[in-house]
Amino acid sequence: MSRTVAITGNGAIAEAMRQINPDVVAAFPITPSTQVVEDFSQFVADGLVSTELVTVESEHSAMSACIGAAAAGGRVMTATSSCGMALMWEMLYVAASQRQPVVMTLVNRALSGPINIHADHSDSMGARDAGWLQLYSEDNQEAYDNLVMAPRIAEHLDIRLPVMVCLDGFIISHAVQTMKLEDDEAVRRFIGKFIPVYPLLDCAHPVTIGALDLQDYYIEHKRAQHQAIMSAKRVVQEISDEFAKSFGRNYGLFEAYRLEDAERVIVAINSVAGEVKEVVDALREKGEKVGLLKIRLFRPFPYEQIREALSGAKIVTVLDRSCSFGAYGPLFTEIRTALYDLPQKPMVYNRVYGLGGRDMLMNDIEAIFAESKQYQQNETVDKVFDFIGVRGD
Amino acid sequence: MKAKNVLMNWQELPIGGFILDAGSSVDYETGTWRTMKPVWHKEYCTNCLTCWVFCPEDAFVLKEGRRPSGKPRSEIQEINLFHCKGCGLCVRECPVNKKGQKTAIELATEKI
Repeated sequence: MSRTVAITGNGAIAEAMRQINPDVVAAFPITPSTQVVEDFSQFVADGLVSTELVTVESEHSAMSACIGAAAAGGRVMTATSSCGMALMWEMLYVAASQRQPVVMTLVNRALSGPINIHADHSDSMGARDAGWLQLYSEDNQEAYDNLVMAPRIAEHLDIRLPVMVCLDGFIISHAVQTMKLEDDEAVRRFIGKFIPVYPLLDCAHPVTIGALDLQDYYIEHKRAQHQAIMSAKRVVQEISDEFAKSFGRNYGLFEAYRLEDAERVIVAINSVAGEVKEVVDALREKGEKVGLLKIRLFRPFPYEQIREALSGAKIVTVLDRSCSFGAYGPLFTEIRTALYDLPQKPMVYNRVYGLGGRDMLMNDIEAIFAESKQYQQNETVDKVFDFIGVRGD
Repeated sequence: MKAKNVLMNWQELPIGGFILDAGSSVDYETGTWRTMKPVWHKEYCTNCLTCWVFCPEDAFVLKEGRRPSGKPRSEIQEINLFHCKGCGLCVRECPVNKKGQKTAIELATEKI
């Protein structure tokens, strides 16, 4: 039976991991993801899971152990944040290029420096080219649901790639929300048995993994890797549909919130989407045609579907919770690229907010919609790129 | 792996750069990496096989031969340039070369 529980985002992730019962978890705790591994190690100590918990000496070792365990033929999970994932950097690429279906929870936190422990997306956006699938979560329920779907996506035989489930540090990871925790057996049925592909422990069929790959083959391997992650757009939708049938919550590649006739649209990712929905509802009450497009799948990026969803918009504000120093925000560049092929392009501009956990308040979002209204009336965008919520003009 | 020198398309490759067949390096040409080529002077070679011991590519091909006394022994037949990377270890380790009187094996510039 499913239960309604009051639980933190980290607690929900740990519960999903308990239900999934992976063969190996290798992790090194880091704020704000610490509670994930803390709770899970309690489950291991209490015998609620049969997982081999490997307590390593660094995140580089954590990801290395995950890759080794996955190559051996196990279902493998880990969790980290910020500088922890930065220390995994080299191994992130190895996991993806070796096509190991590792599932990692990334509790988004600002990268140093100056050192900061609060939410922004500099960690995951920096890792966008590592070859991992990235799923983002608005709230505790979506974080839990994403983690339940993640092994199915990662282990799909057309994909076979690592998946990163992202949720905002503290805002989601440490906030208690009520949510549905599904039945253990139902989750296990949904996930199914792990099917290893060329496992190293299959001693009757020895293989070589991680061999030198030079000018004559490297680019062919990269081409195949790109094909695999592009297939994920189809597979994520399929598994999301199956999830909706099993558990009743419908996700898809992104969420179109009151978009049908929306003229002014905010594109946002992770927890801020919840606040934007509140403001959209309030402005809709006043008759304003506003809406939200909430990104869920950032890698691979569903350009065609998002282009279609934004084709009726007049002006689009893209909110980035990370800064690509010297360039536009990473989400903005994707959205503007997606819109370029429309014959009637909406105006589109970029606002960076919330770095290092700076609060994004309801009146900040109201101000964004007021600004976009002004731009729409003037039929021009004054500032394509700007920071919001920063002291000083 | 397919036969020598036939490169696979990206769709044909095993997942993740895995190599599924043991001993596939035999079919993989590393000779193209060479900038210098070993030249073996058979007339000065004592067939001590030091080069064969040191060669990282197992590029020294042996044959059955006989000592002057008539006892059977292995002798160098040729250098397999399909695998030889031209590292020059054989030249450095050759005991005949070390004596300094004669050169049993040396590196020469590859002609392109």
